Amino acid sequence: MLKFEDRSVELRPGETVLEALERAGIDAPSSCRSGNCQTCLHRAVEGVPPPDSQVGLTQGQKALGFFLPCVCLPTSPLTITRPDNVGARRDAVIRAIEPLAPDVIRLRVDADDFAYRPGQFLELVADGDLRRHYSLASHPEDDPFLEMHIRLHENGRMSRRLGEFKPGDRLHVAGPSGTCFYEGVHEEQRLLLIGAGTGLAPLYGVLRDALKRGHLGPIRLYHGARSRDGLYLDEELKALSRTRAHVDYRPCLLDPNAPAGGDVAATALHAEQDVKDSAIFLCGGENLVKRLKRDFFMRGASMKNIRSDAFTPSG
Amino acid sequence: MSNLYERLGGENAVNAAVELFYRKVLADGRIAQFFDGVDMDQQIAKQKSFLTMAFGGPNNYTGADMRNAHKRLVAKGLNDSHVDAVIENLNYTLRDLGVPEKEVKEVAAIANSVRDDVLNR
Repeated sequence: MLKFEDRSVELRPGETVLEALERAGIDAPSSCRSGNCQTCLHRAVEGVPPPDSQVGLTQGQKALGFFLPCVCLPTSPLTITRPDNVGARRDAVIRAIEPLAPDVIRLRVDADDFAYRPGQFLELVADGDLRRHYSLASHPEDDPFLEMHIRLHENGRMSRRLGEFKPGDRLHVAGPSGTCFYEGVHEEQRLLLIGAGTGLAPLYGVLRDALKRGHLGPIRLYHGARSRDGLYLDEELKALSRTRAHVDYRPCLLDPNAPAGGDVAATALHAEQDVKDSAIFLCGGENLVKRLKRDFFMRGASMKNIRSDAFTPSG
Repeated sequence: MSNLYERLGGENAVNAAVELFYRKVLADGRIAQFFDGVDMDQQIAKQKSFLTMAFGGPNNYTGADMRNAHKRLVAKGLNDSHVDAVIENLNYTLRDLGVPEKEVKEVAAIANSVRDDVLNR
């Protein structure tokens, strides 16, 4: 009836999942114990948690099986895990590895049965302890491979390792993780996608998914880069916006002389005054994501309409 | 007479108030610094559970939870004036939503009841 990962957990009548976990001696943090604070968040990997145990979660979290054990009275069998458990590592084979810009590569790998939503991220494992998170720009229904856009750092361990890889080489992937994907968006809602550097990868995945699902509302994509080379999908996105009237691509080259700072965040904040009803996706460095999230929230965007993924550089 | 939480409108009232309240708090120069660097997605859930408690709704908070949650902030200088500011913002939020003064006072009294735990005294 109830399993925590591989372990069977006894669930007594009328007992919540949180109570059962605690009785079984499984370390499960909690605070309000009434379905509000989300401290006890877990994820169902098999079975469907009752809707009452998902109140207040984002549509993305609900779609991935996240739920609140403190208010969960299961009506059908559930297998659950901690929210940050990315699951087992899987074999992957490099299909292609090529430059997109002087310091950005596109990596495509083949991995069997890797289900994901475009915009989520995976853990790439090169050897033993060398692992990094990368967002997925591919689409599971269109692409037989997983595509990542990876910024190379001069002295980064993973960057150096990636420099040695060639097609046919083996590595591992785990995941996916993240809730920055197209879910809980109305087809006529305005879509605002803002990213810098390789923050474009998940946004590109989200954009393709939105178009594939027949999104009708206007879509505006801002991509920020420090140099022209960094606008690494410029031609493709320009071509796309020419053929799709509702797609508006706005490349933003860093302009240090601009009055408001001249980066993509400043540009977007200046142009996007009315964001109340927009579905917003923010991807890039932590400062960019935090600034935009706060400012758009203060301008009236609801937190449930702001999805984000902040990248932490680790080479 | 129904209880306070029901009179306010229950969960719907909390949902209507939470973002309004959080915006006021973030815009208040007296207390905004305590929210620097905080994950906004996690914080909105915490604000929601604070409002549920203050509205007289279901919660199982213990004094220890309140103490632990605010220990770090007390070390950074959180004091009575900041609790006053939070309750003030809560009052403004409820008035914006058209809640009668009687209920505004009841909510403020519940929020005030956890003051000593929040300030770890």
